[in-house]
Amino acid sequence: MVRRYLAALVAIALACLVPAVAAALGKPDLITLGTQIAIYAIAAAGLDLLIGYTGLSSFGHAAFFGLGGYTVGIMAFHAAGEKMFGVIPGLTEAWLVWPLAIAVSALAALAIGALSLRTTGVSFIMITLAFAEMFFFLFVSLKTYGGDDGLGFRRRNGIPGISPRDDVAFYYVCLTALVLVLALLHRVVHSRFGRVLQGMRQNPRRMEAIGLATYRYKLTAFTIAGGVAGLAGALHANLLRFVSPDMLHWTMSGDFMIMVVLGGAGTLIGPVIGAAAMVLLQSWLAQWTEHWMIVMGPILVFVVLFARRGILGLFR
Amino acid sequence: MSALLEVRGLMKRFGGLIATNNLDLDVTEGELHALIGPNGAGKSTAIGLISGELKPDAGTIRLAGADITGAPIAARVRLGMTRSFQVTSILPEFTALENVALVEQIRAGHSFRFWREAARDRSLTDPALDMLARMGLAARAEVAARDLAHGEQRQLELAMALMTGAKLLLLDEPMAGLGATESQAMTTILAGLKRHATILLVEHDMDAVFALADRITVLVYGQAIASGPPDAIRADPAVRAAYLGEEA
Repeated sequence: MVRRYLAALVAIALACLVPAVAAALGKPDLITLGTQIAIYAIAAAGLDLLIGYTGLSSFGHAAFFGLGGYTVGIMAFHAAGEKMFGVIPGLTEAWLVWPLAIAVSALAALAIGALSLRTTGVSFIMITLAFAEMFFFLFVSLKTYGGDDGLGFRRRNGIPGISPRDDVAFYYVCLTALVLVLALLHRVVHSRFGRVLQGMRQNPRRMEAIGLATYRYKLTAFTIAGGVAGLAGALHANLLRFVSPDMLHWTMSGDFMIMVVLGGAGTLIGPVIGAAAMVLLQSWLAQWTEHWMIVMGPILVFVVLFARRGILGLFR
Repeated sequence: MSALLEVRGLMKRFGGLIATNNLDLDVTEGELHALIGPNGAGKSTAIGLISGELKPDAGTIRLAGADITGAPIAARVRLGMTRSFQVTSILPEFTALENVALVEQIRAGHSFRFWREAARDRSLTDPALDMLARMGLAARAEVAARDLAHGEQRQLELAMALMTGAKLLLLDEPMAGLGATESQAMTTILAGLKRHATILLVEHDMDAVFALADRITVLVYGQAIASGPPDAIRADPAVRAAYLGEEA
């Protein structure tokens, strides 16, 4: 137990050193890479609550990631121009916009989950995918917000005391968000609620037989994961100061799933490792070929076949 | 004589097959009632209908006077009825203690508690440890359920069923897959259980059935052809022809 907390502290300390290392090596893009890893790790850790703990293979997680991002983009758009529908003013302050992004994504997850969770297995995978595609095409067709081309904005959301142009500060913001999300999810999976989720993964029929109304617990988990993805989407929009339908594309959902499985489902920390592995491999391999998945694919097959708990499982 | 479980005119069809045909069944409070019949007689379907996993096409099911024919499974468990499964059905990754503690957690109320660590919650683990001790599993509390011996897993299943606080246990072949010694141990446990709960037992092991049952109902083609105390069932010519005769 103590060793685990020590390992977590060491990992956080190392993550804090990334900007210093980047400065020493003269490679500022390492900071962007680190920020991207932290953001994807947040979304993947949330998805792990579904895949690894509850046993729900949601294939539409990009929808909530994208909705969080678009909440930031659209609020920035209206802050710079006219009000939404002529009445709703735009927002640029992080402490207002980010909770709003979380709420929008969680609400969408509540609605999508309420319908999808009536199915199980392959049908569930397909219906979550279908809903995500609906949102993808919705934003493609929304010409006001850039449609296919996406929507850029000039400044990151304001945080008191932090310059919106400071990439290092923004890295620390994302790192803090990741640590907070992991700490919260850690509490959740060990709580009574978390016990119920793990029970449903292991034996849903048994859980019903001992008197559990499983639906509402699955729906709550789905909503939490959606909200977490919304936060990640909001941060991602801030990183790039740009949102596009790509955030909601089904390949994005696939990437999140790969991060969870690659790193180790049902561990919370595994998805963080998975996100890091994926972002780093992609940026490294992309120097030679845009078909970097040719290398990534076999690695994934290897991990799934030989490491029961992903990369993390290899070290246990 | 008040029936704890009262089944009237229960019907269930799967396509052209009538799995349960106009079934009447009374399980009296405190008795161990065995439901027997040849393979395909519809025993498991009957258990599925009573437990709420299957919806009947016609008929009524009453538990302690309350009509539960259309009630969801969770509501039936709250009213005091739970089932075990033919195939061992436990949470394999959890320890024996965690399995039983989770049942106590569900019995104790909703599980929308997101903060406190469940493993350190004495209000869950203490009753669970008591139950494991009662079932002779105290020494195995910290073993992952998948690593328990088969007989121990069946005992754990019973511990989970009892932990729901059920007045009525639907036991679907608790002896399935057990060796001779394990079956003996299970018979002893079931005999002990009779003091705590009413039991509807589906079982192929006839030695166990005739040793344990207060009353027996014989099912053939989804229909109850006889119902009564073990001696009367043993002597019933229709039962001998349809069922016992085949085995002798």
